[in-house]
Amino acid sequence: MSRAKWLSWSGIAVMLGLLLFAFIWHLSIGTKTIPINELISSFYAYNEDSFNHLIIQELRLPRALIAICVGACLAVSGALMQGVTRNPLADPGLLGMLTGAALAVVYWSTLVSSASLVWIPLVAAIGAFISAVIVWGIASRVAGGITPLSLILSGSAFTAFTGALLAIHHLLDQQTFEEMRTWLVGSLLASNLTTLYWCLPWIIIGLIVAIMLAPSVTALSMGEEVATGLGININRRKWQLLACVVILTSVSVALAGPLGFIGLVIPHVVRFWVGADYRWIIPYCILLGAAYLLFVDTLARWLIQPHEVATGLITILIGAPLFIWLVKVRVR
Amino acid sequence: MHYTFRLPSQAVSLRINGYALLCSAFLLLLLLCLFLYAITQGSYPLSVHDSVMSLLGQQQLIQDPQTEVIIWDFRLPRSLVALLSGSLFALSGALLQNMTRNPLSDPSLVGISQGAALAVVGLTILLPNYVDGWREIAAFLGAIIIATIIQLLRGNGHPLKFILLGVGVAAFISALISSLLTYGDLPSAMAALSWLAGSTHNSDWHDVDILFIAFLLITSLTLYQARMMSVISLGDEVAIGLGINLKAMMFIQLSISVAAAAIATAVVGPLGFIGLLAPHLARKIIRCGPANHLLLTALVGAILVLAADIIGKNVFAPTQLAAGSVTALIGAPLFAYLLITKKT
Repeated sequence: MSRAKWLSWSGIAVMLGLLLFAFIWHLSIGTKTIPINELISSFYAYNEDSFNHLIIQELRLPRALIAICVGACLAVSGALMQGVTRNPLADPGLLGMLTGAALAVVYWSTLVSSASLVWIPLVAAIGAFISAVIVWGIASRVAGGITPLSLILSGSAFTAFTGALLAIHHLLDQQTFEEMRTWLVGSLLASNLTTLYWCLPWIIIGLIVAIMLAPSVTALSMGEEVATGLGININRRKWQLLACVVILTSVSVALAGPLGFIGLVIPHVVRFWVGADYRWIIPYCILLGAAYLLFVDTLARWLIQPHEVATGLITILIGAPLFIWLVKVRVR
Repeated sequence: MHYTFRLPSQAVSLRINGYALLCSAFLLLLLLCLFLYAITQGSYPLSVHDSVMSLLGQQQLIQDPQTEVIIWDFRLPRSLVALLSGSLFALSGALLQNMTRNPLSDPSLVGISQGAALAVVGLTILLPNYVDGWREIAAFLGAIIIATIIQLLRGNGHPLKFILLGVGVAAFISALISSLLTYGDLPSAMAALSWLAGSTHNSDWHDVDILFIAFLLITSLTLYQARMMSVISLGDEVAIGLGINLKAMMFIQLSISVAAAAIATAVVGPLGFIGLLAPHLARKIIRCGPANHLLLTALVGAILVLAADIIGKNVFAPTQLAAGSVTALIGAPLFAYLLITKKT
């Protein structure tokens, strides 16, 4: 086994360890700190009378599982976008997909008063897809074509537009807004396992497709000519990848609301480790994204006890400085 | 058809285009019509005759006794605030676009509005007793600090970097604002929230005074700068060659632009896209020298915000939409259109 391969495999082990550590930390830290032996015993000797066991199994475990799924999905979709658009600044949030999906979900739950959880991932997906197409369409018509600047400007115009629509909706329909408010800043607070069950098939499909398409993302990230030369049908592959990004993004919106900048931060950190090969970037993103969101969510619950900060705010507060740094270093 | 206006010492000299003057007169007429409409329409309709008489101070000719109170206490300050803040945002945007040589700059896109917003929201929530006297100052300080940070970050990079950095800074500040809103106590959070939406509906004469003074100062300062503006837009080398102290000029123009945006933001909240659209629309109406252009821009800005306010007040009556929502709703698609048609 060559040295590079050995490094990459050992990295996977490190990531798994990190994920496990974040998972345990997430479960044990909170308003009530639970000792680790009780945490472990709640898994193999579950005792309904123990208050600590109840907290872990009923409250913290669902939340941790959702954090793992959402973190993995957002990190992978960010990595795919950065690869396909060859744009180091791509992120589902910056390109308007998160707010588009959120807007679709808000409208849906107003129109269909008995909004069933089954449809929410699908509705979010439609919203994310439409916004992706709009933002992409605007950016590709700008003189000079699709550049980081044109994508981000059209993304921020789109975000301003959907933000205004949301504000108007909030004024006209106070009740839905009250229900949606925590969800709209991106929070794992109201998460429940039923939504996760409905989303899980999509998550698995999305992640498997991402891993399968990873080699061609590497080719695409080297330029369209290279990809064509390597025998890839660019247009078809781009649509497949867009579908994959949309699925992953919308599932995470359905689960946790719009969580910004995870898709930007994780792939960049991962690239420090494994370079430009997406066969490695994607699995690393899955593990590190999950660990990162677990970590951020623990922070959100731990910072101002007994209250909690919305998780989405912390991901932005960490991610935006990195974005600024990237602009400073990577844009000419 | 050109007229030249010159002070004896040649300190100020403006070349005025006759057609542009005609356009300005036309826009002024449009603004007056909108203004009258804004004053007469609302949840309690007033007759045009009564309104005009009340504005002219002819109380004995008014038929409806309610008119006096409604106009002087509610509608007149509100419309004046909309109109003045609109022109301030427009002038700020025009200066910023000229300075960065980037037609897509806008105080709300580059983080200046957000800086002012963060300062005001922080003041409202953390020190609620000091809101009244200090709001404008806080907004100005917040805006200037953020503008300076972005300038420092940009260094000597491409002007486009300014915008990208602004997007990042704006995201960061919005998150800070949201956390302040979530964890402040409810009444001050609600007050901050209604201000953040960019609303004119609780404006009073105090706001009008502040905006009017700012408007006079900033308009005269920008007109004084107008001659330099056209030189700066030709490029750094040309400007230096023509004997302009570029650094000082940039600093002055940035300060004026930030001050205009900050004061308007302090009163009505962050209104998006006005600073971006007004200069472009003015240029679409007629291409002319910087002095005319600035006047037209200010007029267009005033018309835009007044119209947005009227729309927000009437479309979903009795629920009032904030003017800021309306400007974003109209401004964002226009921005996309500008982005597409911009030639590089």
